[in-house]
Amino acid sequence: MRIFKLKKEYLFPFLESISEGADLWAPTKKPEGKHSFQIIKDFSQIDLDYTRTILPPRKIFLPPSFNMFKATEKKYEADFSHVTEKIIFGLHPCDIHAILIMDQFYKHHYNDPYYIEARNNTLILGHSCWPDEHCLCKSAGTDIIEEGYDLFFSELEKEYLVWIGSSKGDDLIRRKPDFFDENITDKDIQKYIEWREEKDKAFSVSIDFKNMPDLMELKYQDPLWEKLGQACLACGSCSNVCPTCNCYNINDKPFLTENASHISRCWDACTLESYSEVAGGENFREARSLRLKLYYTHKLQAYISKYGKPACVGCGRCIETCPVDINIKTVAQSLDNETVDAFWDRFAKEVTK
Amino acid sequence: MKNDKLKIGFYELTGCAGDCLLVTDCEMELIDIFNAVDIQSFAMVMSNNTDGELDLALVEGSVTTEKEIEELKDIRKRAKAVVAFGTCAVLGGVQARFIDPKEWEKNLKIVYGNTEFTHTKPVQSKPIDAFIDVDFYLPGCPVSKEQFLNFFTRILKGNPPEHYPNPVCVTCKYNENDCLLKKGELCLGPLTADGCGSICPNHNIPCNGCWGPVEGANVTSEFYLLKEKGFSVDEIKKKMANFSGTKITDYFQQLDKEPK
Repeated sequence: MRIFKLKKEYLFPFLESISEGADLWAPTKKPEGKHSFQIIKDFSQIDLDYTRTILPPRKIFLPPSFNMFKATEKKYEADFSHVTEKIIFGLHPCDIHAILIMDQFYKHHYNDPYYIEARNNTLILGHSCWPDEHCLCKSAGTDIIEEGYDLFFSELEKEYLVWIGSSKGDDLIRRKPDFFDENITDKDIQKYIEWREEKDKAFSVSIDFKNMPDLMELKYQDPLWEKLGQACLACGSCSNVCPTCNCYNINDKPFLTENASHISRCWDACTLESYSEVAGGENFREARSLRLKLYYTHKLQAYISKYGKPACVGCGRCIETCPVDINIKTVAQSLDNETVDAFWDRFAKEVTK
Repeated sequence: MKNDKLKIGFYELTGCAGDCLLVTDCEMELIDIFNAVDIQSFAMVMSNNTDGELDLALVEGSVTTEKEIEELKDIRKRAKAVVAFGTCAVLGGVQARFIDPKEWEKNLKIVYGNTEFTHTKPVQSKPIDAFIDVDFYLPGCPVSKEQFLNFFTRILKGNPPEHYPNPVCVTCKYNENDCLLKKGELCLGPLTADGCGSICPNHNIPCNGCWGPVEGANVTSEFYLLKEKGFSVDEIKKKMANFSGTKITDYFQQLDKEPK
């Protein structure tokens, strides 16, 4: 792996030079202060001083809703209009780890062409970050990224250390060779080491993910799940903001005049009531507690047994989003018999008083 | 020429007529809609409406007079299928927000005094399924263009209509809005059926619940959550009841039974 130095003032000119003919996606600040990945029209929109976006980057590969086919009486016409040349800039290590999990999922048993086509046409440009009180990436082992990106920008004081992660990334550097300095000094290395050490100390929460599969098993019938189910608003937000959730639903959207239909695909969430409803109206996970158990089995147990790592990258989105505090932190803490500060716990005490 | 097009009627009871107006607002599809079916009655847009047999009747508005009860029963007799079209027809609308009958009588007196009703007698506002069987519900204030067109197209093609079982939060998150409930606002998103495109939260306004309660809404949890955030019981109940009409009473009775 090669590493270069890039002066900060060269960043936007560099991005401009590589994004011709492609959509450049980057974090932008919304008026109320939260961040969102958007297509950049003007470089002043980019805000790198962010911790997490509301929706995860998977929305860039597979939007919440898109058409897969146009079906007529005689044939299916595949629709790949969501696939365009894209560059995503500013992804944090946890989100890149999540993309690697998506890759595993969509390529494991069956190659999902809608994901793979979009993925193959997208360049991943990562960016270093600083944790806040919700970040669990260190616990999840996703605070450092070694693969899955084309370029990675580690921010030092006045410059970036730019890590090249792929041959495509190498090609990008070659477009502006004058911008990149190969001469990395001992002082630069020292600065980087100090930054890494400081960052390591900045984490305020931790979860022992290693224990989770066992605890999930031991506590499969625990009253905890009833408590969570009692408070869950079934809004689906924890799934929608999770960078590793990948379930979807398929709907027919018939045309009014032509004898044809769009076959559209939209995000679905196991925490929503309709998710487990089957033909005939039967619902085998009608109780909210059962749906949450499914969600957390996937994140904390099943994925670990299959792939050796949790399906949680510790991005903290569920912690920031759930109105009743059902999130990876409070659930894991509770599985570990720790006391939690959460509405769902207070609510359980209130209604059984 | 034999006319084998579906015979359809649009009817307005008590409401703002916004749902029928929305149909006329489907400008790109309007000609196709009128070509695809045989519209027998649509008072907002045509004269010479007839009161014959119908394949489908879309009824907007709630029932607020005795005359409307008769009118509604007559529509039911003539139509193979009836759709409750819009929140007023589905739930009773804002005019049904006084759940207690005594409250309604009191308000009637305040507004009309001792007026003698000669034309027809007023009744407490109710959704249409208080009087007739309803085959399908399309809530909305007004109904969503997308949901209406999808429903209309599916019926036309002989397909069952699609259900919309999700709360507003799903689309709200797709639109990447910061959660207003989490921020401490009295937002009814998790309790409310989706279809509006989360239009209020998109503009930083908490959801008013105008689509009515979503199936499986966890009213109890949201109620306690709002209480914890400092809202009064009265304030919460008032907002929840605003659009949900009589159908929120079951939830409230449930709440009242729970220990405080």
